[in-house]
Amino acid sequence: MSVGQTAPPREDAGPRRTHGRRTHPRRTHPRRTHGRGSSRTMFSLVVHTVRLQRRGALIWGVVLGLYSAAIVATYPTFGDVEQMNQLMQAYPEGMREAFNLEDMGTPEGFLDSQVFSLAPLALAFFAILACADAIAGAEERGTIDVLLGNPLPRWQLVVGNLLATALSLLGIVAAVGLFTWGTAVLVDVDLPLRTTAEAVINLWPICLFFGGLALLCSALFHRRALAVAIPGVVLFATYLVDVLGRVSDELEDLRPASVFYYYGSAIKDGIDWGNFVGVTLVTSLFVLLAVLAFGRRDIYT
Amino acid sequence: MSAAIETEKLTKTYGRSRGIRYVDLAVEEGEVFGFLGPNGAGKTTTIRTLLGFLRPTGGRAWVFGMDTRKKSVEIRARVGNLPGEFALEDRMTGDELLRFFARLRGGRDLGYARELAERLEADLGRPMRRLSRGNKQKVGLIQAMFHRPPLLILDEPTGGLDPLVQEEFLEIVSEVRAEGRTVFFSSHNLAEVERVCDRVGIVRAGQLVTVEHTRELVNKAFRHVSLTFDRPVDPEPFAALPGVRDLETEGERLSLTLHEPPDALVKLAARHRLVGLEYERPSLEEVFLTYYGGHENGGASS
Repeated sequence: MSVGQTAPPREDAGPRRTHGRRTHPRRTHPRRTHGRGSSRTMFSLVVHTVRLQRRGALIWGVVLGLYSAAIVATYPTFGDVEQMNQLMQAYPEGMREAFNLEDMGTPEGFLDSQVFSLAPLALAFFAILACADAIAGAEERGTIDVLLGNPLPRWQLVVGNLLATALSLLGIVAAVGLFTWGTAVLVDVDLPLRTTAEAVINLWPICLFFGGLALLCSALFHRRALAVAIPGVVLFATYLVDVLGRVSDELEDLRPASVFYYYGSAIKDGIDWGNFVGVTLVTSLFVLLAVLAFGRRDIYT
Repeated sequence: MSAAIETEKLTKTYGRSRGIRYVDLAVEEGEVFGFLGPNGAGKTTTIRTLLGFLRPTGGRAWVFGMDTRKKSVEIRARVGNLPGEFALEDRMTGDELLRFFARLRGGRDLGYARELAERLEADLGRPMRRLSRGNKQKVGLIQAMFHRPPLLILDEPTGGLDPLVQEEFLEIVSEVRAEGRTVFFSSHNLAEVERVCDRVGIVRAGQLVTVEHTRELVNKAFRHVSLTFDRPVDPEPFAALPGVRDLETEGERLSLTLHEPPDALVKLAARHRLVGLEYERPSLEEVFLTYYGGHENGGASS
């Protein structure tokens, strides 16, 4: 039903009547958020989001760092290399292959099996929770209408949250690296700083990969539970595919479909920059899809 | 004047019965426009569609001449918005939030925000999780107004505010109008709408029922009339007059509502000895209720 019918607005129209009042050609006031304005809002959003994440990031960094430090501290108690290797020979071969137990006699091999092959399973949840919160969480909490009441493009909300999560993740892995290397120095374990740095930096793309997936789910489904559950299931499923693929001929062909296949073992072999960039590009694809999905849907509160 | 807000057959449906349908509306620059309707009538859906949060199912809308589907960011740069249902980041203080919003808008001056906080007695130094609903509402109002936008869109702005703060808020709305800025606010508090609004639009079950100047709406509506004579009179001739409804007699007193000009009633009453006459305009609330006729909610989303 219409009351006080209005003619279709015309950009070139002269005065016309609306609800008995004379109106004049409409003025437009383009305040573009391109260029400096766009980078300003993006920068402000990233800083704001990092601030909101900093407490969680600190907790994750300290907890994972302490765990890694504890593992480093136990390394000297296992005695010499031969003893350790003999101990590992007691495990079935398949299990040694699946869980990287082949080279436990070196600090790098020991930390790879005890910390860095498992760390993505935990740390990815920081990225998943943070990115699920960005859209679906904000919709459920009711904060998104106030935030988007500002001149903030939707795409910036998506990209800005991923950038903020990426920065927070860098902080976490830096903390893990410092705890790990610092403890190695204290207990006289031969673990070079560069090796430690490569190991923790290699955590970054795989964790962000699951953050990007959570962001995509958050943009698609506007339910935080789904945006956490789907990447969580994918995380464990792809981990299992990679682990089982190492010992099962039937599953070996599936390993390339798992992101863990490209994670490798940076603490032993250094960072595979091709895989590093490839995983990061797939994350970028998730973000692009999230931007497209979020840009086309209603915002729910 | 030109239109600050204009809609053409704006429609937003969620399935079969909820949403808004074919809303044609024009809010002109510099006016205070009240958007009235009960919960679920479609007020919030209209507002969220104007801000680009919801994609229209049909029709179009413009804010300051800009298409809401294409220029949402530019529109929001010129609008201060208070959502109907909202939350603010629990761990942040009002001051931190306002600084963040100021940065998003390319400014740093919080002078007016502090003035508003003082007038509304808002505490900007405490985290949101420690604030009552009313105090959060005050922060919500300040974040909508502190950057002096040309258009304020406020969804149920006085919810949770105590009467003194409501009074101060209405004073601020009057000042906004005096500055030539536009206010569009939804409410079901008819007394406040009647006080500050130039025009009102009434929405019911997702449809815009009427748009009127507030005064005209009240003036054109019925009147409560009470006639007291020196002795009981026959009510039948009064009941037969055009526009007379709800006639009641109580001794020498006749009470009725009059939906026509009073001329015929006055002439008929003058045939008797009239010792008392009360002629009252209804509140906007009563006018509002006449539009609803007891079937308020058509199932529209709020």
